[in-house]
Amino acid sequence: MADEENSSDRADGDTPKPEKMFTLKKWNAVAMWSWDVECDTCAICRVQVMDACLRCQAESKTGSGKQDCVVVWGECNHSFHYCCMSLWVKQNNRCPLCQQEWSIQRMGK
Amino acid sequence: MITLTRKLKKETTVSNGPPITDASKRVSVRDRLLVKEVQEMEQTLPGTCHVNFENPNELFNITLTVSPDEGYWAGGTFHFHIYVTEDYNMAPPEVKCLTKLWHPNISEEGDICLSLLRQNSIDSLGWAPTRRIKDVVWGLNSLFTDLLNFDDPLNLQATELYLKDKEAFRQKVNDYVKQYAKR
Ligand SMILES: [Zn+2]
Ligand SMILES: [Zn+2]
Ligand SMILES: [Zn+2]
Repeated sequence: MADEENSSDRADGDTPKPEKMFTLKKWNAVAMWSWDVECDTCAICRVQVMDACLRCQAESKTGSGKQDCVVVWGECNHSFHYCCMSLWVKQNNRCPLCQQEWSIQRMGK
Repeated sequence: MITLTRKLKKETTVSNGPPITDASKRVSVRDRLLVKEVQEMEQTLPGTCHVNFENPNELFNITLTVSPDEGYWAGGTFHFHIYVTEDYNMAPPEVKCLTKLWHPNISEEGDICLSLLRQNSIDSLGWAPTRRIKDVVWGLNSLFTDLLNFDDPLNLQATELYLKDKEAFRQKVNDYVKQYAKR
């Protein structure tokens, strides 16, 4: 469990008691999960990937258009709105964040 | 800009009423991006730069003025027109230099050689939708200092003169500044 010790060392300087170390690790795990699911922002349109992309928001005539606007993950693990990425790959078939050649790992919500 | 923000607000409040179908009344993706980006650009503007909008409703028509305070072009004032196309941010803005100058990376006609304005680039230096208007402004401003590049010239004669005789190059740059770039 070397990771556990490292992360608590980095997190704060005041020598933590064992109980404290445990709580900190739990807090970290929750933060990671919520980042992945809720807080990822599409680097193309700068809207959170869980919301409809800027284009769908601009074009939808009623509501948010959320149903059709899905998330796509590349092999590089970067995620974008499928709408945004499908437009960009027509210009340049690379991930705009890491410049790797773009290939889809999975799609969904 | 204020008007556009108001337009955006109006559009969102209208959404519970009848939907707006008229395309001309719709605020495009480009304009939505620009409302945020222009604000960000104005907050991070280098001291040597000044931006102006001929029409505050057209954030896509930006006039940039660069007054370098160091380097060969110091003392000159150079105007650029930045046109953010409807394809933004899939495509880079189109930029022209409106002031005639003697520069290896800017032609006398005002065409600009700046890697981040290139649409199709195989390296990481070209356009990407992760870039913002403030990056374009920063790039243009840096053409007079850090990004000045004699290896990939657009004005070949300028580069040749620089390599042959730096003092003559300086003199020619100065002559152009005196003639064309004094405000
Ligand atoms: Zn997006
Ligand atoms: Zn979408
Ligand atoms: Zn990537």
